[in-house]
Amino acid sequence: MTTIVQNELIKSVEDLHYYLKQAMAVEHATLPPYITALYSMKPGTNIEAFHILRAVAVEEMLHLTLAANVFNAVGGDMKSVLSNPNFIPQYPTVLPTGETDFEVGLSKFSRETVKTFLKIERANEAERGQPLVTPREHTNSLLKVHNQPPHFSFYSIGQFYAEIIRGLHALHKELGDDLFCGDPSKQVTPEYYYNGGGEIIPVTDLKSAVRALREIQEQGEGSGKERIYDGDRELSHYYRFQQLLINEDGDENCGQYYVINKEEPEKSDKPGQPTGDKFKVDWDAVYPIKENIKLSDFTPGSQVYEAAQKFQSDYAKFMKQLESAFNGHPNVLIPAVGAMCGLKYQAERLVKNPLQGSDGVHAAPVYRV
Amino acid sequence: MSQNKQNMQLVDLQTVADNTYDVVIVGAGISGSIVAKELSEQGNRVLILEAGSHKDLTLAGFQSYVNNFYTAVEKDNNAPFPRNDNAPSPRSPDVSKLVPGKVDDRNYLVQQGPLALDSSYTRVMGGTTVHWEAKTPRMLPEDFKMREKHGQGLDWPIEYKEIMPYYRIAENELGVSGSVEDQKAIGVPFKEGYVYPMHNMPPSYLDKTVAKKLDDTEVELNGDRYKIEVKTFPQARNGVPNPEYNKGKGFIPDKLASVHPVEYGERCQGNANCTPICPVQAKYDARKTLNKALKTQRVHILSQAVASKIEIDPENGRVTAVEFKHYEDKDSPKYTAGVAKGRLFVIAANAVENARLLLASGINSTSGLVGKNLMDHPYMLAWGLMPEVTGTMRGPICTSGISTFRQGKFRDRQAAFAIDIHNDGWGWATGSPYSEVLEIVNNKNKYGQELRQELISRISRQLLLAFMIDLPPDESNQISIDPRHTDRLGNYRPIVSFNVPDYCRQTFAYARHFSRLIFQRAGAEDCTNYDPSDYGYFTYKGEGYVFRGGNHYAGTHVMGTTKHNSVVDRYQRSWDHQNLYLVGAGSMPSIGTSNTTLTLAALCFMSTKEMIKDLKSQQLRHALI
Repeated sequence: MTTIVQNELIKSVEDLHYYLKQAMAVEHATLPPYITALYSMKPGTNIEAFHILRAVAVEEMLHLTLAANVFNAVGGDMKSVLSNPNFIPQYPTVLPTGETDFEVGLSKFSRETVKTFLKIERANEAERGQPLVTPREHTNSLLKVHNQPPHFSFYSIGQFYAEIIRGLHALHKELGDDLFCGDPSKQVTPEYYYNGGGEIIPVTDLKSAVRALREIQEQGEGSGKERIYDGDRELSHYYRFQQLLINEDGDENCGQYYVINKEEPEKSDKPGQPTGDKFKVDWDAVYPIKENIKLSDFTPGSQVYEAAQKFQSDYAKFMKQLESAFNGHPNVLIPAVGAMCGLKYQAERLVKNPLQGSDGVHAAPVYRV
Repeated sequence: MSQNKQNMQLVDLQTVADNTYDVVIVGAGISGSIVAKELSEQGNRVLILEAGSHKDLTLAGFQSYVNNFYTAVEKDNNAPFPRNDNAPSPRSPDVSKLVPGKVDDRNYLVQQGPLALDSSYTRVMGGTTVHWEAKTPRMLPEDFKMREKHGQGLDWPIEYKEIMPYYRIAENELGVSGSVEDQKAIGVPFKEGYVYPMHNMPPSYLDKTVAKKLDDTEVELNGDRYKIEVKTFPQARNGVPNPEYNKGKGFIPDKLASVHPVEYGERCQGNANCTPICPVQAKYDARKTLNKALKTQRVHILSQAVASKIEIDPENGRVTAVEFKHYEDKDSPKYTAGVAKGRLFVIAANAVENARLLLASGINSTSGLVGKNLMDHPYMLAWGLMPEVTGTMRGPICTSGISTFRQGKFRDRQAAFAIDIHNDGWGWATGSPYSEVLEIVNNKNKYGQELRQELISRISRQLLLAFMIDLPPDESNQISIDPRHTDRLGNYRPIVSFNVPDYCRQTFAYARHFSRLIFQRAGAEDCTNYDPSDYGYFTYKGEGYVFRGGNHYAGTHVMGTTKHNSVVDRYQRSWDHQNLYLVGAGSMPSIGTSNTTLTLAALCFMSTKEMIKDLKSQQLRHALI
């Protein structure tokens, strides 16, 4: 694998804007896979697994918001960012994670899906001594490089954030506080977000910008071999998912909680050795939904088709609402929460219905036009 | 989503038998949880005896309640909770019309009449807060002085300004969303600069529609003129945190954490599904406080242990132990008797169960007032159909109302009242929307698209007004016991005697008249109908009315200034038994027009300071001896 020689990609505010938009895209990109798996579970089953997935999905929304705060702080123009149809990737999409890129798709809750989620979370690690950007064989990858052929992309999500943080420091050295010329009223403040781990950080200067980006990085961190918790002494995303697969070799339908000692985190469970309560994981209590479903998989005119179309257009509306919230109307986040609830019910209806002529495979939510 | 270091201290009979605790608490509801938290944080070792099961403290347990509710045919307040004959809870669907002079003893709560009371409470971990609506208005200063100001009921031994700081502590603990401005406008005093932890729940579209048509209307009552204003209610429900709270430090709502990873307690999503159970746990319930108590590692809980007797040392009147019956299986009458020993005893099982336990232990108190002065809010419901779709079923159950008549000179002659504008339609009055479906399908023969349209038209125009009416304490309204009425474990069942006095009935008449005015102003069709066969039916001056219980049981061990006029002192400590505290709404000498939970929580915080003093002075005494 040949590497790009240059190791400093962010040279201008324009570059920074470009990569922060990509940051928002990559934070959002994990949402449809997580919520598709989430809603494929039969209601009332897999309560523990449901909440483990749900909490991670909520935190990905937090990351998206944090990235938006940084983008706004450095004077980014939010218009048509989230509402751009291409903001939602074409699944399966490729997430850059170092040497072994992998495809992330929309699929039901299963062992394989959870293994993919583990890879997503591992991709957040910044691996020292690795190249920043490498050419890839495929072009359908996130985190493309500005002004480079499409097969160039970042080595991993972790390296990507490391470069943004480096770029911020460099530009701040050059421009001083003028770098943070964004309208402060566009910052989403903590009162809009308190669910799940982590906190929303309004970004007004270099310090808060770096804190916000580190928050994104750190919730994914801690997938190392030594510890299971992140900087907030919360179980890292990687190990949250791993709880679902921990007893794979023994009793397959049984997950187990890690126990974190908040006061003395070093006394927490070791990776691979949870000591918390066991819980049931019912891999069969899941609707057999079609993978990476597109609107063209439906029979036009059928009720399921209409429901899928409705979901797709409501999802687009939801993205518009989010964009508006990030573009000076943080109040819109409140109805957006309601909209998300509505999407959940629509998704639950879709996954209950078999897809015509697909041999018992069920419908699923469609995100992208 | 992981487990924190094991917090749960669920213990067995043997552990309880082997220990003498600093504090023994009966009941893991909001009062018991606050006391457990405050005292354990001060280093005391606490035992809680809870009659219900402990499965509520797990995510799966909570979810099973949500599912029970979804599948229940009867969606009453106790629908989420499995029937438990070893620790039964009263249920409103069990109530039926009383035959004059005849006791109805078919259900757990024995009804002596003359009116049947359908109020319920819940005997599970978290107590009745697991099903409450979570409205948290403070009482008004004059509510504390009803005898002095209006010649009605009883005065409190404490004034509003003494309880004020504890209201603030309670509002913090419960996580209240509210508007200080709205509350000030109706006469609630606040400390200068105070804001609620979270901004108020936004008024619903229905609220705004009603307000537009009604605001600034003037009406007369008892010779005085009153201007009507629709204002929001404070409530213990996750909203948008107010950054100005706590001198600009802001507020972070507690996640409803429990044994399993419930980093869960979302912002209210406004689906009018608050009572009896909020599926996203946006509503406060006492498990939040209980969880903090458990974190101290000094709290033991023995669940499925029904307190049956308080043991008193006849020499000095001090409580020595609480006897209880512990069952393994809620479906079996088998139990093991046990005794919990401690230095201080706190009975926190709600106004009805506290009275029942005291009476069962032969504790009638010097004043003889145990079980007497039973209060609750009788509610009058009035329902109408708005001329246009008003989005009924959006928002939490109630966001706004009219509090104009919570105080005034008229209270000399008739009861004060507050009006709730219900966002959840006519359900409480008529069983809607289920009753609508039956009506439209069976009587109107509609189906498909037409059925759906008709449902939208009928349901999203519904306006339900609930008039909460102040009921002063009266000794003939009471909880009593009788050896003929026991439950499966052989414990006494509470017998309720209840009537609505003319002082309140006059307000029913005024409220009905007022409801017509509101409907007329709003252009709504008045659909109110009081059926003489309804168990809550009574007449006043030739007119018939129906009342519903407010689930705000109070007054059965009122506080006062001497052992002759009350059961407990201002700290909720029994006058007769110095190491016994009776906490909860039972201590309240009046309830005004406020839902009781916030005030009883404030009282508990106030009492815990005194309990800590008592425990320290006991220690000192031991040290000296």
